Amino acid sequence: MNTYVNKKTFLVFIYRHRWKPNIFSLFNNIFSNFFPIFIIKIPIIGKFPKKIICHVTSNMAATATSNATFRLGNPLSSSSSSSVYSSNKLPVNFRKFALQTSPVKSFSVSCTLTRKPVPAAPVSMDSDPNGWRRPDSFGRFGKFGGKYVPETLMSALSELDAAFHSLSKDEKFQEELAGILEDYVGRESPLYFAERLSEHYKRPNGEGPDIYLKREDLNHTGSHKINNAVAQALLAKRLGKKRIIAETGAGQHGVATATVCARFGLQCIIYMGAQDMERQPLNVFRIRLLGAEVRAVHSGTATLKDATSEAIRDLVTNLETTHYILGSVAGPHPYPMMVRDFHAVIGKETRKQALEKWGGKPDVLVACVGGGSNAMGLFHEFVNDKDVRLIGVEAAGFGLDSGKHAATLTKGEVGVLHGAMSYLLQDEDGQIIEPHSISAGLDYPGVGPEHSFLKDVGRAEYHSVTDEEALEAFKKLSRLEGIFPALETSHALAYLEKLCPTLPNGTKVVVNCSGRGDKDVETVIKHLRV
Amino acid sequence: MAAFNLNTPFFNHRKVLSSIKIGTAPVVSLPMLPQTLPDSTAFTINNTLSTRKPVDKKDIVNNTGGKFGKFGGKYVPETLITSLARLEAEFNLVLHDSEFQEELTTALRDYVGRETPLYFAQRLTNHYKNSEGEGPEIYLKREDLNHGGAHKINNAIAQAMIAKRMGRKSIVAATGAGQHGVATAAACAKLSLDCTIFMGATDMEKQASNVLLMKHLGAEVEAVDGTFKDASSEAIRAWVGNLETRYYLAGTAVGPHPCPSMVREFQSIIGKETRKQGMEKWGGRPDILVACIGSGSNALGLFHEFIKDEDVRLIGVEAAGFGLDSGKHAATLTRGDVGVYHGAMSYLLQDEEGQILGPHSIGARLSRGWTGGELFKRNRSGRVSYCNRRRSCCSISTAMPLGRHFSSVGGLSRIGFPGETMSYSTQWHQGCGEYQRSWR
Repeated sequence: MNTYVNKKTFLVFIYRHRWKPNIFSLFNNIFSNFFPIFIIKIPIIGKFPKKIICHVTSNMAATATSNATFRLGNPLSSSSSSSVYSSNKLPVNFRKFALQTSPVKSFSVSCTLTRKPVPAAPVSMDSDPNGWRRPDSFGRFGKFGGKYVPETLMSALSELDAAFHSLSKDEKFQEELAGILEDYVGRESPLYFAERLSEHYKRPNGEGPDIYLKREDLNHTGSHKINNAVAQALLAKRLGKKRIIAETGAGQHGVATATVCARFGLQCIIYMGAQDMERQPLNVFRIRLLGAEVRAVHSGTATLKDATSEAIRDLVTNLETTHYILGSVAGPHPYPMMVRDFHAVIGKETRKQALEKWGGKPDVLVACVGGGSNAMGLFHEFVNDKDVRLIGVEAAGFGLDSGKHAATLTKGEVGVLHGAMSYLLQDEDGQIIEPHSISAGLDYPGVGPEHSFLKDVGRAEYHSVTDEEALEAFKKLSRLEGIFPALETSHALAYLEKLCPTLPNGTKVVVNCSGRGDKDVETVIKHLRV
Repeated sequence: MAAFNLNTPFFNHRKVLSSIKIGTAPVVSLPMLPQTLPDSTAFTINNTLSTRKPVDKKDIVNNTGGKFGKFGGKYVPETLITSLARLEAEFNLVLHDSEFQEELTTALRDYVGRETPLYFAQRLTNHYKNSEGEGPEIYLKREDLNHGGAHKINNAIAQAMIAKRMGRKSIVAATGAGQHGVATAAACAKLSLDCTIFMGATDMEKQASNVLLMKHLGAEVEAVDGTFKDASSEAIRAWVGNLETRYYLAGTAVGPHPCPSMVREFQSIIGKETRKQGMEKWGGRPDILVACIGSGSNALGLFHEFIKDEDVRLIGVEAAGFGLDSGKHAATLTRGDVGVYHGAMSYLLQDEEGQILGPHSIGARLSRGWTGGELFKRNRSGRVSYCNRRRSCCSISTAMPLGRHFSSVGGLSRIGFPGETMSYSTQWHQGCGEYQRSWR
């Protein structure tokens, strides 16, 4: 077995998934025969953590084990690796050519040194945010992020990265995108002073913060998702791709993707967990009405994470013709950076509108965090302004101690999911814990790597709010301002209960009203007897 | 027949209201005379019903005492006349009150999300090109992007602000599909007014989600036996019962004067924006304006700005339901007769005895039995043409409506075919996702 462990720098584990040859595979693409190999590169920075838990998803639905994970002890000790499997015949660069013959359940870990290590620059709250590399050339935000993907995807991702960088400097593309955002999506969305809400949170002496809502609910399709969908569809067109795939949990991202595909005349396939399809039949209908195909995913727990895995599988099979519109700032590089930059228009508009309205910057920014796209869109512009406080609000479901929540940044641990290193909700064996939240959009066991970075560095604070508190906030905003927010947004609004009493008079708080609540009416009916 | 008022004083409003602010062009008369009127102002009393001559084009713009030719008016019990007069005076005041206008503009911008884009529907345009690649350019005025998802909020927020200004504590309104109810409830929540919405029981079942939205917004929803027309009657009854503290928020361009004028005035922001955006996008005016008509508020909002421009063609599309001959339709302007309903003279669907016929349309908001008086005036003088479409097929594949109403389409075309009639019918075949077109 070829095992090299360099104590100083790099530790590379190559995990190859079992593949059962059958007659059909002979007719498949050559790459699918040698599927899939996950290279997990864990850079060692400073103190080496005692446990590194890596989650590796399965790409073959045929296998019984849907999630294969392994726990590593201190790699510096020789007892770290698990059972070796017949890799004796394997050359060092065995990624493409070996067949697997071992039984179903066993898997192996083997290590090889691939290149000189590049440790991530140490970052702390004392350092200047302008110096932080978000992301660095490897797509890392500190130690988070990266590209934990099969080799087959590396070139596609590099191509995407290059295309993204060239188009961000392309004036024509930017103009076209700006035109579509204005005429089709309906930007710029207003920054609305919520007078009655501010009154409500005033203390008995009449002091309290001023609360503004960034009205992303007024966008076409009713949420911020379309900003990214429209830009990525335009990008895909530029790349000559005719086919778009996407995953969706609640259906909102699926609807946004199907909408832009109809607009641009692209073929669209949406992967949705079978359980989610039952919970959101209206969105499934909408997606079909827009001309897209909805494919049900039955593997695993039949929810968002399984839909994501299935979409990634599709992508790897159809790389030349397909573009994968990822809905959030998660996934392998360059997706977190791309999606963040496409949503950054939210923060840019907020800065401009704040200057117009009160001649300054906002003091506090509040946004809900599921995967983290709307939060990143609002925060990105202000990360370098240390006097602006950034608050992300996650879903605490039935409560943080109940075990049924989706508070990844509060209760999760570091691992790799869907191609990026980030915090995620996992049990002791490294299996993904099924999250729960009343709002489908926050019901994701992972989180964007940049949020993990901002949390670790202390730049942003992350709190959580239960289902009940979110429902109360939903009612409150409806009654006080005549705006019905999405349940996801309601989480951000619910945090104001705890936040406002602590803020001095006249503090400017901007809450990202990321979506409207029409889609949640049935859910709310069930929970609130109005 | 309710009694009608012949003695509406009329004077040349242009002498008094010479400084018109923020692009409003009030064409209402002032029954209550402000103190600032000079003594030499001449008054004439105009009894329009005694003459039968065809409507002069000039009169299209100057309306007299809430009358549009012979339509409109104030066919209401005497108890309501003072209230309506007060409302009219207040309305005229706010039109020239810059503080109110500024507040309204801020609310429209920050709360409603105006201005709405004028979107060039590329694929739709391509779809309608003929074999030589020629065809009109189709633009969509995106009122679907407003808060609440329809144009209704433009009017609801403005009228709610007027009600607050007048010191009223509660609002009553009637709604069919619920869109106006939701818009009213939202505006009331924002301005902390009590809100009661009357809705037909059958409509409440069909639009349960809208009912819930209204309740969440803090409004009381009262069920009424019947449909929208019965809900309207009930709402007016509720208003009449408590005139001092209640305000009737008309959602549509029907009802006694000044309701049609008010609604038209507040919706005319649509047309104003369209003119400005047309100028920016192609340096000219639209050639054709198309809008759906239930009772006519969105159509009037779009058309009003362009009435005086003779070269702009105005097309209203009504609901022909199961077909004009089936008897189940809502094509008031095509098949209706003149009568008085809910305080105004207008076309309406009535049987030989003058009883109201129940209209039918798949789009709940298009099933009205009557239409705003002003639209008829336009019809009579030939300025607006009306077509009927089966199944209210106005859904656009690229800009997806919320499913609740397919009726919000404002389409403009830049190049019309010379010499060829633009009327065509489009039939949406539900289920197979295709649609065919036939030229008539």
